[in-house]
Amino acid sequence: STHKHKLDFTKSKEACLSYIQDAMLQQQWKRAAEFMACYVESLEKDFSREPVSPSEIIWRMGSEILCHHPQSSIKEYNSFVEQMKTIGLKRYLKICLEHTFHLLCNGLIDEAYQNLSMAESWRFGEYTVIQDKEKKLIQAYRGLLDYYSWYKQKNILLEHGQDGFEDLSVEQEMHSSFRKAAVNLQEIIKIPGVWDLFVKCYVDLLEFYGDHNEARQVLNEYAYNSKFPANPNAHVYLYQFLKRQGESKKSLISALKILHDIVPSHELMIDFNTMLQKSKKRKKRRLGLEVIFAALDYAGWKENVKAWSCLARQVKQIIISEKHLEWIKQEWNSRKDWWPAFHFSRYLAKKNWQENKNLSYEKAVVAGILLGKDCKYFKHVSHQGCKAQVKRFRMLKRFMNKHNHVCLRISG
Amino acid sequence: MEFPAALFPSYFVTGPPQEEGGPAPTAGWGEHEQVLEADPGCRQAGTMFVPRRGGMGESWKPADAAAIPLLPPNTSYWIPSLEPQDILYRGALYRKLQTGKSAATLDFTKQLRHFFVDHPEDAFGSMGQLLHQNFFLGNSKLKVSVHLRVIMPSTTPYSGGASLCPFSSPQRQARNSSIRMTALMEEIERLKARRGCPKQYLVPRLRWFSHICRDWLFEVPLGLLADSMHEELLLQWANLLFDDSCTGGALAWLPPKDLCTGCLVYPGGQAMNHLYFQDVVLKELPRAQASPAQFELNGRIRQVAAARVDGEDFVGVRSDYHCGIWRVPGRIGAAPTPLQVIHTDVPASCLTVSPHLPGELAVCTQSGAIYLWSVEMGLQRLRHDTQTMFFRDHSSWHWSDFTAHPRVLSCADRTGLQCLDARAPERCHFDLFKVGQEAGCQQGERVVLPMYLGRAHPSQHLVTTQFSVYVLDERLPMVPVLKWAHMMKAPPLFSHLTPGGPRRSHKVLLGASCTQELLLLQYQAFTSAGQFLSYPSTGGSQSACQLAGPPQKLHSIAGCLQHLPTQLPHHHHLLQQRLDAPAAGLAATLQEDGPQESLLVFQLSEAGDIFYQRLIHEVMQPPAPTLMDEAEPSASPQPLPAVPSPAAALRYRRWLKDFSRGHREHPQHTWPPTFSQKRIFTRRELEMSAGPSTLHQQARQQLRQAMQEGNRIQRWDTPPPQPPLLQLLEPPGGLDTLSARLTTAWSEGWCQWWEEKSNYNVAQRRQALRERRRQQKRARGRRSLSASFTSSHTYQSELSELSDVAPLPPPLSPTVLPRETASSPPPSAVLDEALLSSQSLHCRGIPKERRKTLRDYLSVCAEEPPEPPEPLASQASQACIPSSQSLSQASCTSQPRRKRPRMGF
Repeated sequence: STHKHKLDFTKSKEACLSYIQDAMLQQQWKRAAEFMACYVESLEKDFSREPVSPSEIIWRMGSEILCHHPQSSIKEYNSFVEQMKTIGLKRYLKICLEHTFHLLCNGLIDEAYQNLSMAESWRFGEYTVIQDKEKKLIQAYRGLLDYYSWYKQKNILLEHGQDGFEDLSVEQEMHSSFRKAAVNLQEIIKIPGVWDLFVKCYVDLLEFYGDHNEARQVLNEYAYNSKFPANPNAHVYLYQFLKRQGESKKSLISALKILHDIVPSHELMIDFNTMLQKSKKRKKRRLGLEVIFAALDYAGWKENVKAWSCLARQVKQIIISEKHLEWIKQEWNSRKDWWPAFHFSRYLAKKNWQENKNLSYEKAVVAGILLGKDCKYFKHVSHQGCKAQVKRFRMLKRFMNKHNHVCLRISG
Repeated sequence: MEFPAALFPSYFVTGPPQEEGGPAPTAGWGEHEQVLEADPGCRQAGTMFVPRRGGMGESWKPADAAAIPLLPPNTSYWIPSLEPQDILYRGALYRKLQTGKSAATLDFTKQLRHFFVDHPEDAFGSMGQLLHQNFFLGNSKLKVSVHLRVIMPSTTPYSGGASLCPFSSPQRQARNSSIRMTALMEEIERLKARRGCPKQYLVPRLRWFSHICRDWLFEVPLGLLADSMHEELLLQWANLLFDDSCTGGALAWLPPKDLCTGCLVYPGGQAMNHLYFQDVVLKELPRAQASPAQFELNGRIRQVAAARVDGEDFVGVRSDYHCGIWRVPGRIGAAPTPLQVIHTDVPASCLTVSPHLPGELAVCTQSGAIYLWSVEMGLQRLRHDTQTMFFRDHSSWHWSDFTAHPRVLSCADRTGLQCLDARAPERCHFDLFKVGQEAGCQQGERVVLPMYLGRAHPSQHLVTTQFSVYVLDERLPMVPVLKWAHMMKAPPLFSHLTPGGPRRSHKVLLGASCTQELLLLQYQAFTSAGQFLSYPSTGGSQSACQLAGPPQKLHSIAGCLQHLPTQLPHHHHLLQQRLDAPAAGLAATLQEDGPQESLLVFQLSEAGDIFYQRLIHEVMQPPAPTLMDEAEPSASPQPLPAVPSPAAALRYRRWLKDFSRGHREHPQHTWPPTFSQKRIFTRRELEMSAGPSTLHQQARQQLRQAMQEGNRIQRWDTPPPQPPLLQLLEPPGGLDTLSARLTTAWSEGWCQWWEEKSNYNVAQRRQALRERRRQQKRARGRRSLSASFTSSHTYQSELSELSDVAPLPPPLSPTVLPRETASSPPPSAVLDEALLSSQSLHCRGIPKERRKTLRDYLSVCAEEPPEPPEPLASQASQACIPSSQSLSQASCTSQPRRKRPRMGF
């Protein structure tokens, strides 16, 4: 009969769970809460040997319900989570972390900080790998909050510093915040991962205290260590740092070149292109053309006026000077079978003209040069432009007529 | 598109997945996962954080109580798909439920049996043709003696073939070597009639036959056939567990070109091989407009994919061995035109339409080939790899989709995704997603459906596995920008994206096939609007991807059953079966009706029915970034509508009417209903009744007879009243031809009888008739009281006998069974009487031990009177007597009494 009892209990437990799940998926939080009250009983008679313990189920579902229930409050949430922490010892750190996140998202920074400090001092046997990771995250988030308090104090000091007023205690507090933050933040960013937030804060601290070498090292490590994922932001942060430091064009270009290699569609490619176009070296101007062509391959750039004007300007220059026509030709060769349909269809000509005259002008320049003045896009846009009596479209037509023979060498 | 300035923190570990677990029913709840500073620019006002999960989403409330039929039911009769019961061993399912583990046992013998019965030509065709001359299936006795030496017909050469030599003709020879198979056939017939009877014992003769023939009778050697059959069964079972052929779904919505008329593309027809383009008007209730454009294809449609390029819709259709592309021009009311069809040797597993270039598609086959298919340029093979990409997996499923770069395609198998450049597919590729620790996968997790989310964000992809759903960014490969455990019971095979405009969340619908689950997720990639009302930021700057709001379960098709009018139980069952059919596709569209916005979700079932449901967007006042304590409890969400609206109810009724009409046209049972003996009587009852009562005996015999012949037991209710007098009238020699032949056949002197019969002297017959008349007169004198009631009968039977005897039946060859003409009903009662007397049996040389059998047999025969004589008024009263009584009268009262005077003969 005990077996039967167990069986019945398991069955009703499962049924209850599915009711809760159903209510939650239909966003009936009150109903879910009522069922949940019954399900808590499963903690008392836990016969299961399942991988997911009832305490975890209760923690997960309970906190979700409390997040959405119309009558729940942060107090209730806190007391619920505190109970869960004592029941689910194995998941203590995870629950602490989630509790902190909930507090942070509700703007309760101080409470979150206390919570993190408590979690950090928790000890229970040996850490598992997962617990070790969670512990490091807890420290990192505490470091982040330390950074924010440092940031606040710094601003106070800066404001008051203008008044000529100095507060030693605030300054001391600021420095201690810095130390605490720096210790915790530098730990996590050594481990492979995506740590944009932590790296940014740490570099900000180092820069403030003038430790530029350390900052540069941290950013280089974050961007170029092969154990880390290929995170475009790592390169962006490095580029921005170098720019702040007033580094030479060469080093900026080499930083962006790597970004171009991993993400050719990054928005910084416009800056990169402008930088390269200004260069006196042929090779760099050539790279600039490559960069802008590559960026415009991507669907997200289709209607980017800036990019089209960059390309139009550079292509126009080449046509006028009649030098390096082969650059255009080489770039165009790998694209001529699909760019016409992708960028220069009649449908797009109409649409671009209706929606963005600037865009259609820049694109018409490129289309006219690459495909000749008989291409659908150029014809439609220049016709519309002349009809609307816009001056630059008439000039464009004249330009095309003048340089038609050069253009034919590209498209031919 | 901008890359987010900061991503949510996460660890990056490489290697195969470590985490064990499997499906966790609650893994998707209760986590924020990570937080990120919301807007670094506004740090002065206090730092704010946004969670990766658990943020605020838009509120979409279902407008109806259940899914509503959009179109009339797919008219053709639907054959329900395979169920576990069909191929599993009978006891297995139940036992499995009891123990909870134990592998499935496939019912192999049943399938083999079905094959032999359903495809005899394929199973025994040529051997049957070889043998059919040597197997005699008639009822007559074989005239020739069976030689031990088997003469093959081919061994005798014909001399020129000019004329057939009567002595060496193959027919003659076959006759010489033929054996009589009638009894065996009868046994088999009997087996067939016993269908449904649990006690199917094999007669030794059958067992003997199958033992002898096992090695040579079958067209395909039995071992080989069994291997193939087993392989097929395993395949079917695997398909039952997870069928990926319909991945992607066979329903597509082409958005309206004017304001409110869109087009739904879906398969239909009995074999789901008709492609329909149906215009649908989005009004209060969406409804079909005009009749659909229809194309008949030569294969079941597995997938329908669509994309709009330059104002034109391109629709790709995949069946197992063919893929086709249709174009729907941009003009309103323009008819769809088929553009091209390709044929594949191996079943295709994927077809996606490029959102960038007109008339471009990606095709994958199960052999691992990936093609870029352009209507203008033809097919370009990008890769052919039979191995899986990252680790070994048995599945041959492949998928491909487009990416932000029109020349770069993503290709997927169960282990992950890669992107390859079509211009240099061997050299230029990178890993986008891998089942491993990089994405935090579990052990055993496999890719189920990838989808390009280009309409929401040009560089994002959705990847679903059986446990989780991931959002990936091409610019940051391997690290999912979003991950969430979807908690669905079956893996999501269909997905649909409804992109949100600026500052709105993107809606992703996930659909499972066999469970019909439907889940709505929202995600967003801008800094949460609700929390920053005081700082109206410009156009929603790009931020890291967040899951917005809790997931929401939508109605399934099966859920509308409770809202349909009540049905008769068997109709209800049919209806349930139909509504429970696995889902086959999913589509959705956003409908803006003035200020009100609603999401229409269409669902296609495998039976070809299309249902829809509407979700209404409720614009909530976003809560100010205050503490939850101070936040006023928001108004409780409106309860779901419990009953369908009148308009919906009307649709249900119409749908049901069409559905039941369709079913009446296709009767499900073509064979006559059979009874299981077990249901009628229990074993004990039958045993009890076996003993004393002849009534029971009669009943049993009749029952057995009916079962053997596979007939109904109709005569049970209206038994022919047997005029008792008739039996007295029978002259000893006056048997009709059939009975006489039967009797002689029994005593193995049939051929001789036939000779005699053909030379029958008319004079002799007249003599016999006169003799009979005399006997009749004698009998009248001894007649009992009851006989007086049926005096007129005697007269009639006399007439019939005369008419029977007078015209001589033409001589028939022994192989052809003489048939009774309608004008000469065999007076079975008479025959009965004559035969049953042991004396007459004896004089016919029937051994004693067989007499009883014969008597039993004939008594059964006797109850089958061909045409009962016109019931008279006196008889009508008798007819009212329950059947069993009159039966007993005939058998137990009159018979023994009749026998006695005969004893003294």
